[in-house]
Amino acid sequence: MFLALKEMRRSLGRFVMLIAAIGLLVFLVLFQAAIRNGLVTTFVGGIENQSAPVLVLSTDALRQLSASTIDAATQQSISSVNSVAETAQMGQVVAPVTAGGESRAVSVVGYSNAELGGPTTLVTGRLPQVAGEVVANLGDAADGFAIGDTITVLPAGLPLKVVGQATDIDLGFPTLFTTFDTFTDVVRATNPDAGEISPNAIAVRPQAGVSGETVTAEINALGDDVDALTRSQLAEQSPGVAQVKTSFLLIFIIFGIVVPLVTGLFFLIVTFQKAGSLTLLRAVGVRSAALVRSLLVQVFIVVGLGLVVGIALYLPLSSQKLGNISLKFETAVVIFWSILFLVLGLLSSLVAARRVLAIDPIEATTGAGVGR
Amino acid sequence: MKIALLELRRQPRRFGGAVAILTLLGALLMLLGGLLDGLTEGGTNAITAQRADLIVYSANSGAKFAQSRIDPATAAVVAGTDGVTDTGALNVVQLGARLPDSGPRDLVGVRLFGYEIPPAGVGAPPAAGEAYADVTLRDRGAQVGDVVLVGSQKSKVKIIGFVPDTTYVLEPTLWANVETWSSIVGANRPSEQLGVGVSQSLAVTVTGDPLAAASRIDAATGGTTTTLTPAGVVEADKGVQSQNATFGGIIGITVLIAIVVIALFFALLTAERTGLYGVLKALGARSGALFAGVVAQAMILTLIASLIATALALALEVALPPGVVPYSLSATRVISSVGSLLLAAVVGCAFSLRRVLRIDPASAIGGST
Amino acid sequence: MSDVLVMTDVRKIYETGDTEVAALDHASLTVGDDEIVALVGPSGSGKTTLCSIAGGLLSPTSGVVTVGGHDLTTYSARELSDFRRDQVGFVFQSVNLVPFLTARENLLVIAELGGGDTSTATTRADQLLDELGLADRAKNLPSQLSGGQRQRVAIGRALMNEPSLVLFDEPTSALDSKLGDQVTRLIRSEMKQRGTSAIIVTHDDRITQYADRVVHISDGVVLDH
Repeated sequence: MFLALKEMRRSLGRFVMLIAAIGLLVFLVLFQAAIRNGLVTTFVGGIENQSAPVLVLSTDALRQLSASTIDAATQQSISSVNSVAETAQMGQVVAPVTAGGESRAVSVVGYSNAELGGPTTLVTGRLPQVAGEVVANLGDAADGFAIGDTITVLPAGLPLKVVGQATDIDLGFPTLFTTFDTFTDVVRATNPDAGEISPNAIAVRPQAGVSGETVTAEINALGDDVDALTRSQLAEQSPGVAQVKTSFLLIFIIFGIVVPLVTGLFFLIVTFQKAGSLTLLRAVGVRSAALVRSLLVQVFIVVGLGLVVGIALYLPLSSQKLGNISLKFETAVVIFWSILFLVLGLLSSLVAARRVLAIDPIEATTGAGVGR
Repeated sequence: MKIALLELRRQPRRFGGAVAILTLLGALLMLLGGLLDGLTEGGTNAITAQRADLIVYSANSGAKFAQSRIDPATAAVVAGTDGVTDTGALNVVQLGARLPDSGPRDLVGVRLFGYEIPPAGVGAPPAAGEAYADVTLRDRGAQVGDVVLVGSQKSKVKIIGFVPDTTYVLEPTLWANVETWSSIVGANRPSEQLGVGVSQSLAVTVTGDPLAAASRIDAATGGTTTTLTPAGVVEADKGVQSQNATFGGIIGITVLIAIVVIALFFALLTAERTGLYGVLKALGARSGALFAGVVAQAMILTLIASLIATALALALEVALPPGVVPYSLSATRVISSVGSLLLAAVVGCAFSLRRVLRIDPASAIGGST
Repeated sequence: MSDVLVMTDVRKIYETGDTEVAALDHASLTVGDDEIVALVGPSGSGKTTLCSIAGGLLSPTSGVVTVGGHDLTTYSARELSDFRRDQVGFVFQSVNLVPFLTARENLLVIAELGGGDTSTATTRADQLLDELGLADRAKNLPSQLSGGQRQRVAIGRALMNEPSLVLFDEPTSALDSKLGDQVTRLIRSEMKQRGTSAIIVTHDDRITQYADRVVHISDGVVLDH
């Protein structure tokens, strides 16, 4: 510890630069992890946090709720499946509205049964009780979606009043949950020429003791035109989610390599540069283990401080909104990356540690170790 | 300079680690840039391909087709506005498409456009039941003459030709006449069907300055429309703006990281070379010449790293199956990424300048090297 | 014959905290044309400081220094740098060859860094290597040369700019006695052949027999000049 700290103090500039590099890398990783999670939540929060355990869409919708249509005959067939206890209707439409004095697009989700399709993360207010009432996403409150706010659907001017707020219920846009009747009103308000308004999905509750996978398999056996999925499957396989996850995975892989590479290279170079001093220490009786320990202490301090810097940079951003994406400080994510970078940093320093272990103290007498 | 280059050639292992790190940072820059461009292009190709000068949406639609409606009266006002030479409906709907020989659950998401004024690369509106297909559909196995089944009602659309990249919202497009479009929407998405003469938007050609014409159109409709050039539609897209800002910020910080890494590496190298520089200065070498060598090394290493990074980025583009990730690597993006790295190299080296200047040639005498 | 080096009443003072240390104290020394002077003194006597000032590596606190007719005391740092490149040769204690340059490239290093005519310099380098018996080692790296060969390359580098004065700082300290003797003889023959003056800083009494004159220095004072 003594050696490690003394050296760091005497060569403060280089260690500060390394900590800065690692800090920036950590910040970028945490920031991008937050964007990734925020994007996924923005895309499918409304699926993950509604009460229907199973949802049935039309196959041609490619798992996009608003693109699906289920006719009455199909709904009847679904209800007739043995493992289905109960069904309800759900719909989704993207509508132009004014909210908070601004024009914007919102996603309106309608459910015919709050226990089967309604939001599960209500935090304030209540569920809609009469026509024209909606539950909005808490993260959108500042944009004109707070309790008591009125949102006007265009072009017809249909008013919707926010009576409750739930967390993480967006579906690509600021999202409002409401009754199916209000949903159909919204569809007609946005498109007076709309024909028959069929539900976009059927919400399904399995019979007691029957798993979601069993129900979906039985419903899918009805024909190729229906696509039944559990809630988590639909969230996972919604359009864009896989692309977001794959894109960010590629980015994270590169970061995961860069951090240990920078750390490992730095300590390898520094070890070579102080080979003479290390040889001298070995010659006067300091054990290899002590020198390696000193190295690992420095790696731990550098990566640790880099993590502190990165988290400190990230913290103020973590409560911000980027467009529609709400960023969050997710402790589990921070802990995961912190541990990963610490482990990778320590592993990368093994190359330098090997060099330290290879020092032969006899070289102190020949001067061969000096300046190598 | 020559000495700096000789060092690179004769002691390549010393620089291997730095090249590896710069390669990864360069690959990261190109990946981020390629994702951004892929998202932007894939999301908006169909718009930027429009030959029309302007696109008219209803006000408050946010320039989004699905939220926009232009009724016949408004269309007539637009057509009658001074400078307008032609107007045509432009509608779009998202559907699942089954290609021939595909499995019953093996669908491709497509955006079916109904148009009157052809975009670039697209012919005149085809006959009923026919459509031009975007080339990305050909990448998925479609051929001219194929009958594609779209929507839950499996409406038939015959592909009569392929058109250059006109993807929209990252999906392949089909270009049909307005009647075909209306018929398919009516069958498959009755809640989205439009009345007679109603369109989601109007493509408009004008004489003179398009921006001035846009103002005239919106004034003539009493502010019930928002008229934009195709480029303006892309710029107004809040999603695109947000994407650009976010990715731009990430790219900027990545360049900053490259600066710090280069600064760190060359600070370490310069510290190691203090003795050698002392000798060279004692022999009469100027600090400027020594520093120029440092900069030359940094730039060459960065160029080598950039070449490898470019190869990796191109390999990624080839290896990625279509539709998995919206990734489009352009020459401009490669050049800007390499340029950023080279700039980072020069700036990073500047941190070593002070040290080079401070090396005392007298330290060479006395065996202190 | 005019004197190549004239140092008159040179002082070099270092301030450490509140005290002043005189590394050179009213030192005067002349080195004639074609003269080899051995500068002998114990560690800390000021011989390295004197050599550094003579070679334009350090500026004196006071006094006058002229080398080959150049008054170094009036030179700026840049002018001193050019002076070292063009007028003086150095052979350092630890040889100090650039490890990644071949023997020939080590001779050409200043021409490369100074932007001089490299084709002329190459011809001269090859000639010097031939004269030093290293023609067949021109393409070898320092790690591929023996201690004596490395020292000869260093001598060749010092002679590249046809200096009027060459400064040798403990040239044999890293060599065994036989090799040290060989190198010292080589130094004498090369200097005399070219009519080049030299100062050899040394602890080693065996070297002094090859010098034209021995000058002793102690505590910054030149005892015989």
